[in-house]
Amino acid sequence: MSAHRHKRAPQRRHRTAPATLCAAALASALLAGCAGVTPDHGFAGVADSTRERIGATPRLAQDAAAAQELQEIVRAELAAPLTMDGAVRVALINNPGLQATYWNVGIAQAELAQASRLPNPALGFQRVSGQGEVEIERGLNVNLAAVLTAPLAARLEARRFDAVRREVGAAIERHALETRRAWIEAVAAQQSLDYARRVHAAAEASAELAARMRGAGNIAGLDLAREQAFQADAAAALARSGRQVTAAREKLTRLLGLWGQDTQYTLPERLPDLPDAPAELRDVERLALARRLDVQAAKADAEATAASLGLSRTTRFVNVLELGYAGKSERSAPSMRGYALSLELPLFDWGGARVARAEATYMQALQRVADTAVTARSEARESYLDYRSAYDLAAHYRDSVIPLRKRISHEVLLRYNGMLASTQALLADSREQAGAVNAYIDALRDFWSAQAALQAALGDRIDMPGAQPMPPAANRHEDHQ
Amino acid sequence: MTSRRNFITGAAMAGAAAVSKAAMGAVPEAPQQSSAATVPPPPPPNGRPYNPVVTPNGWSLPWRMKDNVKEFHLVAEPVVREIAPGMKANLWGYNGQSPGPTIEVVEGDRVRIFVTNRLPEITSIHWHGQLLPNGMDGVSGLTQPPIAPGKTFVYEFTARHAGTFMYHPHADEMAQIGMGMMGFWVTHPKDPRQHAVDRDFVFLLNAYDIEPGAYTPNVNTMLDFNIWTINSRAFPGTDALAVRKDDRVRIRIGNLSMTNHPFHIHGHRMEVAGTDGGWIAPAARWPEVTVDIGVGQMRALEFTADAPGDWPFHCHKSHHTMNAMGHDVPNLIGVDHRGVARKINDLVPGYMVMGDKGVSMGGMRMPLPENTLPMMDGQGPFGGIEMGGMFTTIKVREGLARGDYRDPGWYAHPQGTVAREWTGPAPEPVRAAAAPAAPDEPVANVKRGDGHTMHDGH
Repeated sequence: MSAHRHKRAPQRRHRTAPATLCAAALASALLAGCAGVTPDHGFAGVADSTRERIGATPRLAQDAAAAQELQEIVRAELAAPLTMDGAVRVALINNPGLQATYWNVGIAQAELAQASRLPNPALGFQRVSGQGEVEIERGLNVNLAAVLTAPLAARLEARRFDAVRREVGAAIERHALETRRAWIEAVAAQQSLDYARRVHAAAEASAELAARMRGAGNIAGLDLAREQAFQADAAAALARSGRQVTAAREKLTRLLGLWGQDTQYTLPERLPDLPDAPAELRDVERLALARRLDVQAAKADAEATAASLGLSRTTRFVNVLELGYAGKSERSAPSMRGYALSLELPLFDWGGARVARAEATYMQALQRVADTAVTARSEARESYLDYRSAYDLAAHYRDSVIPLRKRISHEVLLRYNGMLASTQALLADSREQAGAVNAYIDALRDFWSAQAALQAALGDRIDMPGAQPMPPAANRHEDHQ
Repeated sequence: MTSRRNFITGAAMAGAAAVSKAAMGAVPEAPQQSSAATVPPPPPPNGRPYNPVVTPNGWSLPWRMKDNVKEFHLVAEPVVREIAPGMKANLWGYNGQSPGPTIEVVEGDRVRIFVTNRLPEITSIHWHGQLLPNGMDGVSGLTQPPIAPGKTFVYEFTARHAGTFMYHPHADEMAQIGMGMMGFWVTHPKDPRQHAVDRDFVFLLNAYDIEPGAYTPNVNTMLDFNIWTINSRAFPGTDALAVRKDDRVRIRIGNLSMTNHPFHIHGHRMEVAGTDGGWIAPAARWPEVTVDIGVGQMRALEFTADAPGDWPFHCHKSHHTMNAMGHDVPNLIGVDHRGVARKINDLVPGYMVMGDKGVSMGGMRMPLPENTLPMMDGQGPFGGIEMGGMFTTIKVREGLARGDYRDPGWYAHPQGTVAREWTGPAPEPVRAAAAPAAPDEPVANVKRGDGHTMHDGH
């Protein structure tokens, strides 16, 4: 906004234009409460919603003291074998990348606070003298458009602040999901390693027995070589399994943001048991639409574009309206004061293009809402079905495959007792049993992974499947759609 | 297994229902026997007199006389036979048992045998060794139409020659004999004094392939049988042959398994008194202590039980005096298990080392699959007899009553007649001087037992 020059402005006094004061007062009233930077950098709201949605509270390491406190929390959490939820808790307060993201909220809040403040008025003074004449021009200028549009701008910034908080919330949820998955993978890999060890031990015992039999002259070198080849393969599988453990654990460590001594954390020996029953969610689509951040974001975006469409409509001319105090005094003439007003004549540009653009943007936002909703519904269905079928598969292993394998092992042992089966048959069966248990671990891992994905797809916790048939969130938010 | 059993039962019931009452009215009763105990036969109630035989773990089939014809009624049907205590088998047999009841007739008897088929498939009966009209020979398709399920056929002929015979199906033999369809047949001489003995035992040798944990023999097995039986009983389920000292004893054996059986007697010398073809002139009889009985053959063995005691009588193929053992169990004899046993035990809780010093369990009993007999579980007064399968004992005792076939218990040895531990200094064994090995001779990888006595890890 430009300053105005007023020739020979009065030297004695001047007064702020009443219209300007009026607008400023109005804007201040509108902005009351929105402005300001909070000590938590606006992060408390994010933390609250996250606690509700994923059961863990992210915390901002806003100064050295807070960082120290968080470090202690992390150490306490790492003192015992790290649970899946514990891993999420650690990641949300300890991952530096995530902490960096948290500051986006502070930045957005600061920008909102900035937008909420009235632009500073501009004071212009000009003194010109020559030929015995002194001409002084004074002007106090306020960007009237900025004042007039300040409430709207503040609302836009408030929305942006909301969007950033949602984005950060989404990042937290993504990180929580990744952490859960990494934790599941790491524990499963560790468990699989145990079984690779068992298989190798069986192969080793078998090969050793074969070597003794060879030594006693009871078997041929061919048979011994076959047993030893099997053991060699099992050793390779064991090494491969060890690599898998390292990779899975390091991925988890990265997500937890740990380094140095803290990387020595321990994990539980086993994945959590399969719940007695899977969660029965009757209306996953509604739940997803009500709870998912991307749906909320799309809706908020549409609302924001609607607002900006309204803004464009109301300011199509106003944004060129300039209002200023004008005062002029000449030594040789009485002082004059008044105001200057310029109004753009909408002869060539009626602002229609801007309005059309805003309208198009709004329509685009509406379609994005629809698209996001369709995707959310589909993902909710898919992840729920995936969760259920993962449950069924794991339950199949738990209830059918493993008991049958145990039964078989028992029967093979009975046959061994009766000299109807060989030691090698026993060991071969033990390897097969280990394979079945490993397949069960895989199925269990897939189940927990599917559960984590389902939580992410629904934007809600599924605590204690079966115990809580319908999360209360579904009821809380059912009038959203 | 269950479904097959149901199938058999269902089919048998359908077969039974199909026998018309009118037809059944004309045929003699078909007595049933479900116990596996030896049933000493009563003297013949009618017809020509004879000295009855004893079928260990079996019985003889009663008859009725009609118009001077001996009428028997055999019912071919599914049965459950106790192979030995602890193991039952789903077999096919006659009149409730496998083998079917022994048929006893006298030389010259006119015999009419009704055969009712309660099996799910066709059958026929071949009278093994009998000289009879071709149409009575019981070969389905060749000499007669097969007996359909639910149908009753009648065979009629004259038992022309005294001797030892068998009966078995000549329809789907692989399955039907493999399921236990067979029976003994004795034609006594007209003169009961001819070839008279004090005790006359008869049994059939048969074999089954019953998977440990299963109940029904695999009828597709050709040679790898795992249950070797005398009258479909395996030791220790075989009844002892109780004999009075100095009795003249005859044992007639028929072989309906798929391999030969060298039967061996302890403490006595026996002679082969009869073959499939009939009696052997006394001067031509072979003294033996082991008589090989070929597939499809019958032998009548005789001896005088002059030595009191409990004497084994068994097939000399050592795997025939054992119950089921795995065919592909590797040899662990002489294999040191120290260290490796614990490793295996970590993986397979309950694992115990076996077979490293031999296959004897030393009286150790371990849990086995259901319906499975221990390999060698016979127990005697001095411990484990470590026998199974085709094994029985001849118990020779003073003063047994005529016709008393009850087990007299273990023999009480006169003092000083039992082998005992020598506690004096052992005499130095005499060994031949070792011959030096030829330079290029491969040296066998031989290890003598190092005498370790404990299974490690247990």
